[in-house]
This record gives sequence, structure tokens and C-alpha cells, in this order.
Amino acid sequence: MNLDIVVYGDVRLYHLLMAALILLIAVLIAKGLVIHLRRSLKDKVEKHQLEDIVKVVWYGIIGIAVLTVFPILGVHPAGLLAAGGITGIVIGFASRSVVSNLISGLFLMIERPIKIGDAVNIDGTAGVVEDIHIFSTVLRAIDGLYVRIPNDKVFTGKLTNYVANVARRFEYVIGIRYCDDADKAIEIIKNLIDEHPLTLKNPASQVFVDNLGDSTVNILVKIWAPTTEWYGVKRELLWKIKNALEKEGIQFPFPQRELWFNNELRSREIKAE
Amino acid sequence: MFDYYDVPLGIAKEGISLSVEREGEVLLYWRESVDEKVEKNLPASTGKILINPIEPVNKPKELTSYLLIEFERTLVVEPGATQKIYAKYPLEIGVFISRNENFKILDIFTLMKQKFTLYGDPSSGVICKYWSSAVYSSLPSVNPIQEGVVELSITNTSTEWVEVTKAVFNAYGMKMYYSEDMVAMKANMKIMKGKIAETDFFDSPLETGMKKSLELYTVRKVAITTTKFVMEAGI
Repeated sequence: MNLDIVVYGDVRLYHLLMAALILLIAVLIAKGLVIHLRRSLKDKVEKHQLEDIVKVVWYGIIGIAVLTVFPILGVHPAGLLAAGGITGIVIGFASRSVVSNLISGLFLMIERPIKIGDAVNIDGTAGVVEDIHIFSTVLRAIDGLYVRIPNDKVFTGKLTNYVANVARRFEYVIGIRYCDDADKAIEIIKNLIDEHPLTLKNPASQVFVDNLGDSTVNILVKIWAPTTEWYGVKRELLWKIKNALEKEGIQFPFPQRELWFNNELRSREIKAE
Repeated sequence: MFDYYDVPLGIAKEGISLSVEREGEVLLYWRESVDEKVEKNLPASTGKILINPIEPVNKPKELTSYLLIEFERTLVVEPGATQKIYAKYPLEIGVFISRNENFKILDIFTLMKQKFTLYGDPSSGVICKYWSSAVYSSLPSVNPIQEGVVELSITNTSTEWVEVTKAVFNAYGMKMYYSEDMVAMKANMKIMKGKIAETDFFDSPLETGMKKSLELYTVRKVAITTTKFVMEAGI
């Protein structure tokens, strides 16, 4: 087989084969290194840090290989710059959303408002961050669905990171009867919060009568818990509070209204007759 | 209670029932304490069982590697002075299986109340295991399967008087020693300018003859970056 055939310009068939071989070797080296890094660093660094390292290594090796291959294929970086001009503008307009996502992806990696494994809400979509690519961010929605969000939406849209801080607060409103002892109810609730190991000692929980409702005296309960545990604590404690209060004879009334009549009811008059 | 044991074994002490019994081709590990029951099958080749105190940051869940001890009485330390105090901390007990000096954690339990707290603010602080302790000027007596003693040397290197209300420790640096009647560790708190303090541990027993505990973080071969803790959010 004649490898000296001219394909285009000064580039011959063996140049193409050499370029393909270099790219193949680069991919193999990158894959091997990535596998090695994943195995050796799995227990030593956090998942999101590991993914960052892997991406830098992968794109670094592939990038170097591509730059090495360009001159072999007759493409020179200096020439590319010179050939910018009109072509660049046309390509720029055609691919502005791609570039926008790319730039947003780079800014996301620098600013780091989210990382892999975080529970987030991005423009109304709640889920866990599965991966942050250069052009898009992948979420596992709370119902298990795969959601891919372009990075410019992540960067410019409203983003809530539920686990960025180590602790968070949640609240209950407990409505008890007017005839019940609110101080006793507060004491019972405080004891339950104190006994629970996953409610935080500091910041201290707050339990107080917040307002006098139409049918109930409303006790507001504000509890701090580690961010990773708050939802489980919230689910567990409310039922415990309900049971503990009922055990002490404190009840939760249904909505009720007391009516007063200016005149005695007519039924009484009828009875009297 | 803290020692190496051959299998089979049976221990019943202060509400803890623990046994390893042969059941056919396998060994059955069983432990019951404080409303908690654990049963595990162990390989018949299991060598020895080691029971010793471990870093008290694992129960009820591994949320942190920091322990915060709040002092019931504030300590006032003068500039340039070193003050030695004793405080208590809750014990967690680790049960390890071993073979040819290769250890694996099998079970962790505690008899003490568990609580967490936040040191610092929610955005930059850390979750810590919480314990409140009186401050002692001499070695307090403790129940050796419930509480340990930390000997804390507080050195004020700043030029101001400081009040110390708490100490935060990094469990990665804990070096615990035990004897028949005490579990103890020695720690150091260096107070610097700006009411910042650094805590660390000494790897030496409080009394001669004490045995060194096998640390959980050593067994787990966790990559440790630092064994110190810098208290930047108040002391």
C-alpha cells in the first residue's frame, strides 16, 4: 500500500495515519490515567474534586494531542489566527449559544456555586447534581428523572443550593386549644428537641407562642439541624411532638367558631310556651 | 472491659451484653445496649476481638470529625500563662476483629447521650459532636466505659486576658490511652492573638502503664491532611 499518496496540500496519507495514531495513543493514555486516578484517589478526595481532577487530566491530554496533530495535518495555529476574520464572525454568530454555555460552564467551575452531589433547585427543577460538563449540568431530579440543563441557564438563572451551608433551620406551627397550658406544651416540645441527637445545641431551637389564632394558640417551633439530616429530623419530630402533647392531655382543635346572640334563641321561647 | 479477647467470648457489664459464639461454620457476633441490638456473622477464621475506646464522633451517625467540649464554667487565662485543666468527654467503644495485625471495625456503641452542635456560622462553620463538661483542676473520677478524661494545657500566647468557654478538637488527631479505671487523652490549646486558638493532641499516656487505643481513623486508612483544629469562631 502506497502511503505517500497526497491527500491535500502537503498532507499525505501517512500523515493522516500518524495523526490518527497520536490521537488514539492520547485517548488510551488519558483513559488509563483517568481509571488509575479514580481508583487511587477514590477514598482520598471528595467526589466532586475527583471529577475535577479527572476532567483536567482528560481534556489536558486530549488538548495537547490535538495541538500536536494540527501541524501534521497542515494546520498551523498562526494560520488559524490569521484565518479568523469573517469566518470567525460567522461561526461566532452561528454558535453563540454554544459559546455562551461554554463560558458559563467555565465560570461555574471557577465560582463553584454547586458541586457534584449537591441538592439544588435550578430555575424550578429540584434534584441532585450528577455532573457538571463544559456545556451543561446534569441533575437527577427528585423523582429520579435525568435532567440536562444548559450551563447558561444554571449561571444566569435562579439557583438554590440546599446543602451549601452545613446547617439549616426548619419550622413547625403547633396549634393547641385555648384551654391548654401553653407553657407546659412548650416545655414538652423543648424536651423532645433536646433529646433528639440530630437537632443542634447551637444555634439553639426556639419554641414560643407566636400568635393567638381563630381556633388555636399557635406555638412556633424553630429547629436547627445538620443540612444532611434536616428532612429526616423534620419528619420524625413532628409526629413525636403530636404524640407527646396528646399524652399530656394537650389537644389540637378543629377549626371552630363561638357564636353569641343578642336575643335569646327562639327555640327557648317555644319551649317556655 | 477494654482488651483483646479470644473467641468465643461473652461480656455482660453495665447494660452492655456482647458475645461471639460459634454457630456451625461461622461465628455469631451479638451485642445489645441502650435499645440497640446488633447481630453479625463473622468468618470462622476470625483471630482476636479487640474492644477499646475510639474517637467519640461516630454515633449516632458519622456527620463530623470534630468534638466540641463546652465548659460549664468559663476559664480566665492571663497573658503568657499556661493553665492545665481536666474535662470529661463521652466515650464511644469500638469492637474490632483482627487477624495477623489486620484490623476491621465490627461495631461501635456508646452509653452516653449524643448531641451535635454548630461551631461558627452556618456558611463557614463546622458541625461538631457536642459535650458539656465541668472543669476540674485535678484528675476527676470517671466511669471508664462511659466517660473519658482530657487533660488540656491552655497556653495564652497573646498579650490580652482571655476567657475560654469551649474547646474544639479534630478526631483525626486523638490519641487515647486506657487502663482498668480510666480512659484519657492529652491535648493542647494554644491561644493566639485575636482570640483564635489551635488545638492538638499529645501522643503520650496520662499515667504510666496505660495502653494505647487503636484509633478508628488509623484502621480505616483515611488520608489525613491535619490533626489540628484552628478555632477561629470564638473560644
